[in-house]
Amino acid sequence: MVKLVLVLMLILAVVGILLGAIGSALLGNEYFVPVPEVHLAPQEVFTVGSFVITNTLLSAWLTTLVILLLFGLGTRKMRFVPGRLQGFLEFLIEALFGFVKGVAGEKYARKWFPLLATIFLFVAFNAWMALLPFYPTVGFTKDGADHITTHLFRSAGTDINMPLALAVIAFLFIEIWGFRVHGIGYLKEFIRIGNPIQMFIGLIELISHFIRLVSFTFRLFGNMLAGEIVLFMMTFLTIIITPVVFYGLEILVGGVQALVFMGLTLVFAVMAVATHGEHNHEDSEAESH
Amino acid sequence: MLGAPLLEEASGIGALGIDLTSLLVYLINFTVLGLILYFMAYKRIIGMLDSRSERIRESLEEADRVRKESEEQQESMQKALDDGRQEGQRVLAEAREAAERYREQQAEQARAESEQIVSRAREEIKQERDAALESVRAEFAVLAVSAAEKIIKRSLDADAQQDLIDEVISESNAKQEQD
Repeated sequence: MVKLVLVLMLILAVVGILLGAIGSALLGNEYFVPVPEVHLAPQEVFTVGSFVITNTLLSAWLTTLVILLLFGLGTRKMRFVPGRLQGFLEFLIEALFGFVKGVAGEKYARKWFPLLATIFLFVAFNAWMALLPFYPTVGFTKDGADHITTHLFRSAGTDINMPLALAVIAFLFIEIWGFRVHGIGYLKEFIRIGNPIQMFIGLIELISHFIRLVSFTFRLFGNMLAGEIVLFMMTFLTIIITPVVFYGLEILVGGVQALVFMGLTLVFAVMAVATHGEHNHEDSEAESH
Repeated sequence: MLGAPLLEEASGIGALGIDLTSLLVYLINFTVLGLILYFMAYKRIIGMLDSRSERIRESLEEADRVRKESEEQQESMQKALDDGRQEGQRVLAEAREAAERYREQQAEQARAESEQIVSRAREEIKQERDAALESVRAEFAVLAVSAAEKIIKRSLDADAQQDLIDEVISESNAKQEQD
């Protein structure tokens, strides 16, 4: 039975390659699927007044709705002996909370967890939802084109505004907690008067904090966009079977990116609230994560 | 991915489609999502996890307490059992001792009584024998006198007869003592 399935999959993969762009180029046929056009910016779906509703924004709202629906159903009737959905959500939350507690400790974990968990859920679900079949197949045609020119939904992670918004939130969260714990003394980290080398280090430190905005943004944006391009290109080149491997990879990438975004925010926050004397230790801890 | 982008095709950073309004919408969207999740899910799920771990902790403590109590009760029962066994053995030993003492006492009493009975019986026998001997002796004397009378064909007066009887008795006693 397994052998039969494998043989069928192999046949389908070969058919897919022959029908795809690779086969078309070799056999001189027309392309079976339209040539993908890569655009960095999101696409307009409709406008409300002067506000443009993009497909990435719709996707973000859909993801938000799905997350709320999932948690709403799972926590509607909380029972001491949980059902399947409640059990799954408890497992997820417990795993994330354990991760946060392991890095930040019990005291900060309880305060930081809501924001960090939301980052994880929003990034991961955005990435995973984009793998659903209706994302690349539902859309509109414009200007008499014979293929979809505007998709209804597109992964919000591929819209730079979404990673940037999360980066701003993470940045504010980190710096606010730094000031909250150390007060105005938190600025001593950046303004080091006296030794010119120390002053330079302070300046570098200040820049590095702002650079986080860029690194947070482009890490997520780049990974999500690259994943989407890979999926589109593999579908264009091989049509079926082969892209499934990359879909699997993207499931992993979505989870990893969500964890990385959350983890880095957590580690930077730990570094911000740590006393200056502990910085070396915290730095090494952050690197290990 | 396919089709016209939101913004006019721009070069450089503009091609990324950075838009302040979209940015604010994402910020608001994220904040709202976070707040709803906090009140609807995180708080309740973490509360449930805390209460469950608290319950497990309490159950473990309760189990530990019950185990200790059980051990203590078992020890107490064992001690009571040992005490009871010792007490039983002591009572049994005392009963045996009392029974032995009673048996010896009864045996002693029986022996004394039997000795008393034997002694009394001996005394009675002796008295009976003495009386019988006395009677026989008297009878014998009368018979002897009567026989002597018949033999010598003569009668003796009463005083001489009494003297003769005494003499015969004396001789008889002397002979008996010699026996």
